[in-house]
Amino acid sequence: MVLPSLAKIAVAALWANRLRSGLTLLGVIIGVTSVMTIISALEGMMGAIEDDLAVLGPTTFIITKAGGVITSHEQWMEMMKRKPLDMQSWKLLEEGCVLCEKICPRTDGSANVKRGNNTMKRVWVSGGTSNMIDIVDFEVAQGRFYSVEDDLYRRRVAFIGDDVREELFGQTDPLEKTIRIGGIRYTVCGVAKRRGSMFGESQDEFIYIPFSAHIKQFGYPRRGLRFAIKAQSLDELQNAQDQARMILRAQRHVPYNKPDDFTMMTADSILEMLNSFTRIFRMGLVGISSISLVVGGIVVMNIMMVSVTERTREIGIRKAIGAKQNHIMLQFLFEALVTTLGGGLVGIILGHFAASALVGLLDVDMSVSLFATLSGLIVSTGIGIIFGLYPAMKAARMDPIKALSYE
Amino acid sequence: MALIETDNLWKTYEMGSEKVHALRGVTISIQKGEYVAIMGPSGSGKSTLMNLIGCLDTPSEGEYLLNAKQVSTMNDDELASIRNREIGFVFQTFNLLPRASALHNVELPLIYNSSTSTDRLQLAEAALNKVELSDRMHHKPTELSGGQRQRVAIARALVNDPSLLLADEPTGNLDSKTSLEIMRLIDDLHRAGNTIIIVTHERDIANHAHRVLSILDGQIATDELIPEDRRTAI
Repeated sequence: MVLPSLAKIAVAALWANRLRSGLTLLGVIIGVTSVMTIISALEGMMGAIEDDLAVLGPTTFIITKAGGVITSHEQWMEMMKRKPLDMQSWKLLEEGCVLCEKICPRTDGSANVKRGNNTMKRVWVSGGTSNMIDIVDFEVAQGRFYSVEDDLYRRRVAFIGDDVREELFGQTDPLEKTIRIGGIRYTVCGVAKRRGSMFGESQDEFIYIPFSAHIKQFGYPRRGLRFAIKAQSLDELQNAQDQARMILRAQRHVPYNKPDDFTMMTADSILEMLNSFTRIFRMGLVGISSISLVVGGIVVMNIMMVSVTERTREIGIRKAIGAKQNHIMLQFLFEALVTTLGGGLVGIILGHFAASALVGLLDVDMSVSLFATLSGLIVSTGIGIIFGLYPAMKAARMDPIKALSYE
Repeated sequence: MALIETDNLWKTYEMGSEKVHALRGVTISIQKGEYVAIMGPSGSGKSTLMNLIGCLDTPSEGEYLLNAKQVSTMNDDELASIRNREIGFVFQTFNLLPRASALHNVELPLIYNSSTSTDRLQLAEAALNKVELSDRMHHKPTELSGGQRQRVAIARALVNDPSLLLADEPTGNLDSKTSLEIMRLIDDLHRAGNTIIIVTHERDIANHAHRVLSILDGQIATDELIPEDRRTAI
């Protein structure tokens, strides 16, 4: 029965000093808002990257000559000296890696693309075998992806991204129409479903053509091939990776005591890498924004100190008529808590909107983050307790006689 | 067993390197139902004695038994709970919470002993009724006259039905007419069976009591019973 009464007393005291309480609240709101904005925006960004990587699918891994995090010049030099992955690697993998369900060699280039008077400069043109559609998670909006036969007979067909379609065809039907890629005529066989843009960069500006046609037009890539490989199942992912690794090490004569001279990545490992790469950056951002939270806490403490001194006589009266130390302490702690929790709630809401606006500029979807909301509540409660405790204890320990005679 | 029993109370304050003895061995005994005035000039130690009797402070030496409970060795919270249950304070400056209504001021002591809110309301209303302020329940202290404020304070002191009403210069801030009114109320309360101690430096006020303890230099100088014909009669 005591607690609700004390809470009521605290709220009444805050209400009696509306302007002061409001300003204190503002301090907390600014602090919580800035931290919430940063946390939510970071979460939204990481979530978007995660979604983007999900196109690889959980059972897919990638093998490249060089990749991953490069932390030193030596590492860079070592990677540059590596032999490229070649057609022989592909053949050996196809023959030897029985746990690899699908293997897609990839090669990239860029070219100007034309349709009538419409030209797109330097479009990313990627070559891959027809099984790419089963490995990389994109969807067909119109027409079809190219087939095994297209690849086998080196047909010049193109599967285009939505931006390319829009730019070259506008409202007209692109299927079975001819476009020129680097001057060579290709027939459009299908259009990919729109993926939107991320960080201001379109993800729909690409053309896929059959592997054989790509090699024919762009030549055999000097930097070698990349492989996108789909394991039979998630359970076999590790084994498939091991199998592919053994095959490539044997082909490239890597001594048993030397590390791989190629790089193997899964969507998970890419994400992990990205996370470790941005961790310090993210912690720094949260740390800097937390400063305003500490400032907000100091404002609360300052006001509470003033409030305690100002109400010395009230404290004396309460103690004289039987308030125990805990009663007084809780009364003032409640005041601090109501301020910081109230500020916290407003801050969480404002922070969410601010983060949406911020992340919206980067073209990333964002949902209400449970983590950000919970940490906002916990942090604002914590601030209230930490910065409210000292003034509350000061009030609780007052000598009633001195407090009563305070002018 | 007396309500208040003190044995050789000393209170010593350290002022820098000097020791100041505010009380030098006070031994008194006050029975339940008594009406006692404590008199003395300023600096005599009467405030210190009142603080000790009111359980706002503990003696440096000696013993104090209130209702047979040893108060001299209690800690802060135990003293608070004794004050809450056993003692009703009336102060010279009223000491009401300025922002709270009369009713809320009166129910305040009940908040700290975990009464339910309906009980609190009932008891507070009854106490305000006793001091004839039921029509001013929702007024704030600033909207009340001095005499009315002191009556609110008396209601607050009575709300917990304490064993002792301790009034420190209860008429010090009031004009003579209002003083009389308040003293009449206190006299009535004594007649109703309350034990009352008044601390004052005015002989007129002290003479309302049935027994006057005068204190000088930290010691009891005289302890006299006032015969009925010498009491200030109202």
